[in-house]
Amino acid sequence: MIALLGVSKSFGRLRAVADASFEVPKGRVVGLLGSNGAGKTTTLRMIAGFMPPDAGRVMIDGLDTIDRSLEARRLVGYLPEASPAYGEMGVEDYLRFRGRLYGLRGRALADAAGRALARCDLGEVARRRVGTLSRGFRQRVGLAAAILHDPPVLVLDEPTSALDPKQVRQARALIRDLARDKAVLVSSHVLGEVEQSCDEVVVLARGRVRARGTPSDLASRGGPGVGSGSGGACRVEVRAPADRVRALLSVVPGVAGVEALSHEDGWTRARVAFAMTADDPRPAIAAALSAVPLRELSREAIGFERAVLDIIESADA
Amino acid sequence: MSAVLCIALREARSFFRVPLGWVVIALYLFLTGVVFAERTLVPGEPASLRYLFSISGFLLLPVAPAISMRLFSDELRAGTIEPLLTAPVRDLEIVLGKFVGGVLFLLAILAPTLAHAAILVAVSDPQPDPGPIAAGYLSLVLLGGLYLAVGSFFSTLTASQTLAFLSTFLFLLVALLGTSDLVAAPPPTDRWLAAVAIGPRLADLGRGVIDTAHVVFFLSGTALFLALAHVSLQSRRWR
Repeated sequence: MIALLGVSKSFGRLRAVADASFEVPKGRVVGLLGSNGAGKTTTLRMIAGFMPPDAGRVMIDGLDTIDRSLEARRLVGYLPEASPAYGEMGVEDYLRFRGRLYGLRGRALADAAGRALARCDLGEVARRRVGTLSRGFRQRVGLAAAILHDPPVLVLDEPTSALDPKQVRQARALIRDLARDKAVLVSSHVLGEVEQSCDEVVVLARGRVRARGTPSDLASRGGPGVGSGSGGACRVEVRAPADRVRALLSVVPGVAGVEALSHEDGWTRARVAFAMTADDPRPAIAAALSAVPLRELSREAIGFERAVLDIIESADA
Repeated sequence: MSAVLCIALREARSFFRVPLGWVVIALYLFLTGVVFAERTLVPGEPASLRYLFSISGFLLLPVAPAISMRLFSDELRAGTIEPLLTAPVRDLEIVLGKFVGGVLFLLAILAPTLAHAAILVAVSDPQPDPGPIAAGYLSLVLLGGLYLAVGSFFSTLTASQTLAFLSTFLFLLVALLGTSDLVAAPPPTDRWLAAVAIGPRLADLGRGVIDTAHVVFFLSGTALFLALAHVSLQSRRWR
């Protein structure tokens, strides 16, 4: 449903997004992760049609957001960062106004507003002015406005940043529920939340897509994406005394420490910690241990948060 | 309901939901009330609102920018421009909707001043000629529309309402004074200034003379500044 094809965007000399490409298929929740200034909001704004890319194309269900902008925008429900809404308007009035902009009229408009109010648990504040609401309620008003016209694509910029824990759980459940028949792209700073609520993750750093995959993929896999430039540890099991294993491994470039423990069966299990390195250290470890029988050489699962932080930090380095 | 009307009605209603709208109404009614009491209700003078209409160029000077400064600057400041520009609505429809919303609010401001005409009818003998009064109100709407279009353009340029107000106010003030009799420009500049002068056109309309050239002048000026506002809004997408 959403496809970015080599998208770039600059503001003056600042390259906010550089050659970004990824897709968000229907029925999936994709999390867009990155530190401040990574290009998340700019990417979401281009998808929502707020600004065009300088290069590349953004497609919504096959519609180019420049050539067929109005049709593409009609398919997108967009929650901007900070959920801006007219403070002097009542909540229900505001939703009806938004619905009219998307072509809803009469009974369809009333039903859509009622549904959005109910789904975002806004019934008790439906007649209050938006400006008098707490930030959490305002965020839910923004979410209600985004889902009001039942769009097939949802683009949500920090949708839970102002919510309390209970509301976060509700919003997460709502997003999961909405994703059954929609493509949902969510940006967030909260890595744990993304890990729990997203099917896939795209990591942006300095405007470039640095990694993508499922949260468990990113958490466990080594090699490109996570391996490059990251620290971590490997587990090794070899048939050799612990002292010899330590001696063999301590000369491998990048190794920061070796914990080895021999067992009665003659095998030694070792944990090899390595510092930041440009390459996956496993080939070097395997080479160093080539003279002894090797039965396991695996990379430790380093955890989703650690993996994402490694990717971001290595891009920033 | 078209997007233009939808945006216009929201805009017009919003003025009544914020203190600024009521302050603007009070300011205009106070200014026109003073002029009406001091210069129109004068025993022995002909029953006419001509003076009121002829100086409306100055009476609307603080009022129109106060209306127009909200149109885009407030959206830019509050960030509400983002959901608006990502809705399936053309930029031109947004500009026209906001402009029409401003004009609707202006009409709401002008409506109570019909009381001046009613008072004049009640206390005058002979009765005032309704033609010049109708033409005068037409001049107020045309002039207000032009002022609001100018203000809309300046409002698209900045997120600061104060800056939008001051830039519109100063532009209109310079335009009014620069094309008035107070400035003695050498030929051919004097002819150019006369061609874009607002004061003589208001005076004609206040006398009941509905010259097509005057109407075209106000409408084309309005269209020009709305087009500039449209270009300015569109250019924001590329910045």
